Amino acid sequence: MTRRALGYPVLALAALFALFPIYWMVITALKSTREIFTSPPTFWPAHPSLANFESLFHFNYMGLYLRNSVIVVTVSVGIALVIGSLAAYALARFQVFHRSNEPLSFGILAVRMIPPIVIVVPIYLSVQRLGLLNSYGGLMLVYSATNLPFVIWMMRSFFEEIPVDLEEAAMADGASRLSAFRTVALPLAAPGLVATSIFSVIVTYNEFIYALVITSTPKAETVPVGASTLIGKISVDFGPLAAAGVIAMIPIVIFALAAQRHLIRGLTMGALK
Amino acid sequence: VANEALADLWAGIALPVHRRARPRRFAGLAPLAPYFMLLPAGIMLLGISLYPLLYSIRVSLQRFSFEQPIDVGLLNYRLLLHDSLFWSSLRVTVTFTIGAVALETVLGLSLALLMSRETQLFRRLRMVYVLPMIIAPVVVGIVWRLLYSADVGAVPFLASVVGVHDFNILGSPTLALPGVVLLDVWEWTPFMFLVLLAGIQSLPTEPFEAARVDGARPVQLFLTIMLPMLRPILLVALLVRTMDAFTIFDQIFVLTRGGPGISTEVISLYAYKTAFKFSQIGYAAAIVFCMVVFLGIVSVSFIALLRRNPAER
Repeated sequence: MTRRALGYPVLALAALFALFPIYWMVITALKSTREIFTSPPTFWPAHPSLANFESLFHFNYMGLYLRNSVIVVTVSVGIALVIGSLAAYALARFQVFHRSNEPLSFGILAVRMIPPIVIVVPIYLSVQRLGLLNSYGGLMLVYSATNLPFVIWMMRSFFEEIPVDLEEAAMADGASRLSAFRTVALPLAAPGLVATSIFSVIVTYNEFIYALVITSTPKAETVPVGASTLIGKISVDFGPLAAAGVIAMIPIVIFALAAQRHLIRGLTMGALK
Repeated sequence: VANEALADLWAGIALPVHRRARPRRFAGLAPLAPYFMLLPAGIMLLGISLYPLLYSIRVSLQRFSFEQPIDVGLLNYRLLLHDSLFWSSLRVTVTFTIGAVALETVLGLSLALLMSRETQLFRRLRMVYVLPMIIAPVVVGIVWRLLYSADVGAVPFLASVVGVHDFNILGSPTLALPGVVLLDVWEWTPFMFLVLLAGIQSLPTEPFEAARVDGARPVQLFLTIMLPMLRPILLVALLVRTMDAFTIFDQIFVLTRGGPGISTEVISLYAYKTAFKFSQIGYAAAIVFCMVVFLGIVSVSFIALLRRNPAER
């Protein structure tokens, strides 16, 4: 009983703590420069306007950043899904090692745990040597590789949930291994594919440090890097900065809402399995 | 020869199963096919793990500033030992990591305990709690920059309402790091909470009922039954968070860029500046290698703790 009485207020407080900072960014984006600097601050914009957003597209490169992000994210997640699903299928259906595939799976998980900062210098040098600095190609190469461990891990668990009999039946009817994979296993794992891609898209769209070192101009810069360039050494234009934050956030929120059911599985991956 | 081998591999994959001697044996079919399916992924995975790590170690033994590298042996590491910026960044990182992860664990566990029964309400509010951890770390940095900023922020205003004036978090060497800790708590408590909630909800109910019949108090139930049963999942969550917090970069890059002074300059930011601002690639690689060693020690000790069965102690 006490637990219940305590639960609701704490829950509400936690929700307020989670939401207020984001709310503050959204209303700052909708305020005029003068209103942003009024003291005491307003907690509801007096004259909400989209001027800050307009200035981002007119006097900044937000349109380019968005285009770069969409292209790079789509292609690299696509590549990771194809290559990763193949590998995941092999791990789920074959005895790759003598006793078990676990050491290999553990190794894949370990790769996922490598923090980007630890490998960003050699990756930068490799991309430079390939002549792919400040290009889509460099970003796509890095992102399709960094997405792989997650794709393999997720898709493997989805493939394992599909009964082997179905593919065996298809192959008994004369289908090849590859076409059994394509026509039986892959369609059945489609929900898993969707969940995996949504999560990969979120992670890739949000990625910062590789994009920061690989790109250098709006020709290839992605949304997070573009947003960070709004913070000057001396002054910060708070209105456009807040608007950039909102723009960077919106696609992710939409994606997350679309994938609510699968999201928790991806977010807590590794810790729960 | 290579082409023939490739053709054989494809034939192995493509061969209909009923032509085979043992049609029902999946593992016996085309023994090389799975390796072929793993190959592209394997190359790419090695390309972003083993290769960069080894290359990094090699570069750390060189004087390397984007020109012709010169081998200098362990010079970079010897310089590190006397580099006060390095030790300061290590101190900042460890302080930040311990503070943030401890707070997140306590808050996440408390919330999970409170909410373990409120599944209906929780399901409706879940997206709200998840929001901070799915938006880009850069956006998290922007959010808190707008909150903390002395001119326009909500936090200085709220502080002045309580009677604390000129509450300039980002301008104060003592307050900036706690400010970053609060940002991290905001962003990552949901993770601890979700993982521990799932853990609590998956626990069997019998031990608790038995203990309750024996007259155990709630605190005893928590300490003697729930906590030991949660231990594995708690350790994994702690490991994930510790590694993540230890390598924090994006949020600090946007919020303080290490300032004021070097009061929030964490080790990853120091490595980044060394490599990409001061072009000392070799030295940066040495810093990064120290991070790898540190993270390796942390993960190995967590895994050792996980392997040890508490019942045998």
